Amino acid sequence: MKALRIEIFKEALKTGVVTKKYPFEPIEVPEGFRGKPSIDTEKCIGCGACANVCPPSALSIEVDAKRGVKKIMLFLGRCIFCGRCQDVCPTEAIKLSREFELSSLNSKDLYQVVELKMARCKTCGRYYATIRQILFTARNVPKDQRPLLLLCDECRSKVSAKYISYARW
Amino acid sequence: MPTSIYEVLELMRKYGRIEKIHKDTYIVEVKADKVKDICSILHWKLGGHFSVTVGSDERLINGYFAIYHVFLLDEQKISIIVHTKANPAIPKIPSITPIIPGANWHEREAHDFFGIVFENHPNLERLILPYDWPEKVYPLRKDVSIEELRFKILKPETVKEKVKPEEEYIVPIGPYHPALHEPEYFELYVEGERIVDAKYKGFHVHRGIEKVAEERLTINQIPFIAERICGICGYTHNVAYCQAVEYAANIDVPLRAKYIRSILLEIERIHSHLLWFGVLFHLLGFDTGFMMTWLVREKIMDLAEILTGNRKNYGMNLVGGVRRDINEGKIKLSLETLDYVEYKLRKILNKMLKLKEIMSRTKEIGLLSREEARKLSVVGPVARASGISTDVRKYHPYAAYGELEFKVPVYDAGDVYSRVLVRYDEIFESISMLKQLLKNIPKGDLMAENVEVPEYRKGLGLTEAPRGENVHLVITGRENKVYRWRPRAPSYNNVPSTLVMLKGENLADAPAIIASIDPCFSCTDHVVVVDVKRGTRRTLRLKEISRGRAR
Amino acid sequence: MSLKLFRRSLWVYHLNSGGCNGCDIEVLNIFTPYHDVERLGIKLVASPRHADVIVFTGPITRETLPKAIRAFFAVPEPKAVVAVGSCACGGGIWYDSYAVIGGIEAFYRIIEKYYKVRPPPTVYVPGCPPKPEAIIYGVAVLRGVLKQKQRKTYFLEKEVPTLTRDFIVNLEKYMKQGGGIRIGKR
Repeated sequence: MKALRIEIFKEALKTGVVTKKYPFEPIEVPEGFRGKPSIDTEKCIGCGACANVCPPSALSIEVDAKRGVKKIMLFLGRCIFCGRCQDVCPTEAIKLSREFELSSLNSKDLYQVVELKMARCKTCGRYYATIRQILFTARNVPKDQRPLLLLCDECRSKVSAKYISYARW
Repeated sequence: MPTSIYEVLELMRKYGRIEKIHKDTYIVEVKADKVKDICSILHWKLGGHFSVTVGSDERLINGYFAIYHVFLLDEQKISIIVHTKANPAIPKIPSITPIIPGANWHEREAHDFFGIVFENHPNLERLILPYDWPEKVYPLRKDVSIEELRFKILKPETVKEKVKPEEEYIVPIGPYHPALHEPEYFELYVEGERIVDAKYKGFHVHRGIEKVAEERLTINQIPFIAERICGICGYTHNVAYCQAVEYAANIDVPLRAKYIRSILLEIERIHSHLLWFGVLFHLLGFDTGFMMTWLVREKIMDLAEILTGNRKNYGMNLVGGVRRDINEGKIKLSLETLDYVEYKLRKILNKMLKLKEIMSRTKEIGLLSREEARKLSVVGPVARASGISTDVRKYHPYAAYGELEFKVPVYDAGDVYSRVLVRYDEIFESISMLKQLLKNIPKGDLMAENVEVPEYRKGLGLTEAPRGENVHLVITGRENKVYRWRPRAPSYNNVPSTLVMLKGENLADAPAIIASIDPCFSCTDHVVVVDVKRGTRRTLRLKEISRGRAR
Repeated sequence: MSLKLFRRSLWVYHLNSGGCNGCDIEVLNIFTPYHDVERLGIKLVASPRHADVIVFTGPITRETLPKAIRAFFAVPEPKAVVAVGSCACGGGIWYDSYAVIGGIEAFYRIIEKYYKVRPPPTVYVPGCPPKPEAIIYGVAVLRGVLKQKQRKTYFLEKEVPTLTRDFIVNLEKYMKQGGGIRIGKR
């Protein structure tokens, strides 16, 4: 029995010192690590696909009708770092980096806010979409139908209905 | 005794209409008065075992409350679901607890959430909902929403009334190494040093996951909430849910995705068993063992981080496949890590289990005989240590397990030491399975092509978690949502067996016994000890209790 | 700030209020040989009366709320709080469930309303679960040894083109000339 305990002791000594020297030296994280997400303000078009797919609703979209802006808010406190927003963004604006040192003493520091200006409908005057989103969609629409993008959803469907009813003749 | 699938199904046909939902799973619809007979035959005569009871509010589909009893038959490799309907005005169904004591908690839960009354149940009391829940409010019914519950029915003032410092509250939240425990506590009734009776009060961790999943989340968001049900075996819940939806919708998952899922499942099993060894050694007072096993475990966590991007909560699954690939460099790194882990474990863990102190404190303690194990329908290593050979990977193969060779370790003694040996053998079986998977992984796609989920279909997903079998029952709904989802963790069936194991034992052995079933919401370190003779009540820490006299 | 009173070592009490256990295992991992936070003077204690700092994990469920309040008041002043994980920082993935109070901010609202007590200094460590190194960084920020890196950011779009019918029909011509609008993938 004594020999057994000495063997265990010897094995424990052989392992040596394995302690990492953090926080006095930095450590590396592997490639593909899912760290802090951040929105690239040049690329975001305000479509809201990320807010639709986020499981804990850490990303949220609000429309401010008085100022005519769309507000995208990212709250890191509730983020679960799953990466679904990165999967569905059409312009690759939101990406997960490799940072993991995100602590803060104030919960307001965990927010990122992006505000984008919206356009008014030519017929009814309501704010309906951000300007960047209209320009992004316009590139995939044939030229003769592009003026329809300047109307909001209700006015646009009324105009298209007229075209369809004419086409029946 | 019918033994082939055809004979079993012919026998079932006498009780009601039988239908095949998907591969190897059948559903029998019976009337309420025949439920006891058919369940008794399935559990005691045909060699199957009872798994879970699911209640469901189907008044929007067909106007009734429904109950599903799920049975798994290992010999014939099929699952049978017994389905009955209850009157929507006053739902009543005969209880099966008198024949199968393991169904006790399942029926109490259906009563808590839906208001279904089980006739002849021994004690139909509140099980899961908090102590201040109002009467006659059943949260999982479809006519009450989360908004109403949160803001109109439940008020925070009711919580405040109970919080007076003079009232006797036991603080069940325990903080020492390893303080990974969720709050719950055991009440042990002692005479001197011997335990006479035990009671259990738990479910402090009830978060209302099922209601959130039915109301707010879509089908592809639920894997992320399923992973966070448990902090150690979360990936098995993820895979079980995805499998249930894939079977219900008849989606074909590519073979490479199945191999990747199996690799991650086995990695999770190794790290969970090493964690359990550390906890057990610590409770027995052997801190060297705790530190050495967790040292080896860190290498596995680093490997998981390289493969998936996070140490826990891998986030790799969507319905229809996986999200990330494994390339050649990662496979080579995994094989090197596994060699190191196997070498280290064979040198130290083997010797630690032969120490006289460990053996004397775990042999012949916490006995669970085979009959008791069958009555309570325990699963996982607890069942395998009592002589029952049951393993979902062998008898109901899923993912890539049908193509692997492995053994299922079974021991007969039924004490804590057998459970130690079962888990020790399973680690090495997992390492050999991982080597087979990594060397033979085929090429192919990662995600199925057309993922369309039709409405109101049933699916049953089974996986083998480190603690036993995981069962998820899913009924799909409309508009990309789920109508009913019932995840059942294996510890649900295993925890009632501690109350049988603790009677007659010494107080000092109680922590080791409670830890030996590897409770997923594991034991707290505060235990209330009630001395029956003197009529006193003391609160002790588990560490103090476990330092008592060893046998 | 009362943090200056913690000169040397910190005694920590771990309070689990109904989480999944993932963050608890990471809190335990920092006492194992690879990270070994005991060399920095942090010790885990058994009773809240001995502690300086409370480590909170888990969204606070209705069942554990009275027990969490009682344990919180048992820790003597001055105290500090470390909220670990996405459940404690903001309620987590189930922040709107009927059985969950919702993270440490909702807990502070209840204490302020019913017990008239100001919340103690708190550090938030997001992550699901956060790496053990991230928790060590959080405690170092609490002590004032390291500076906090994360700050809030705000962006408002300034110059926008006016959308006329001519502009949108001949979009490519204007984009090549102006060259100033960069939208979407390249």
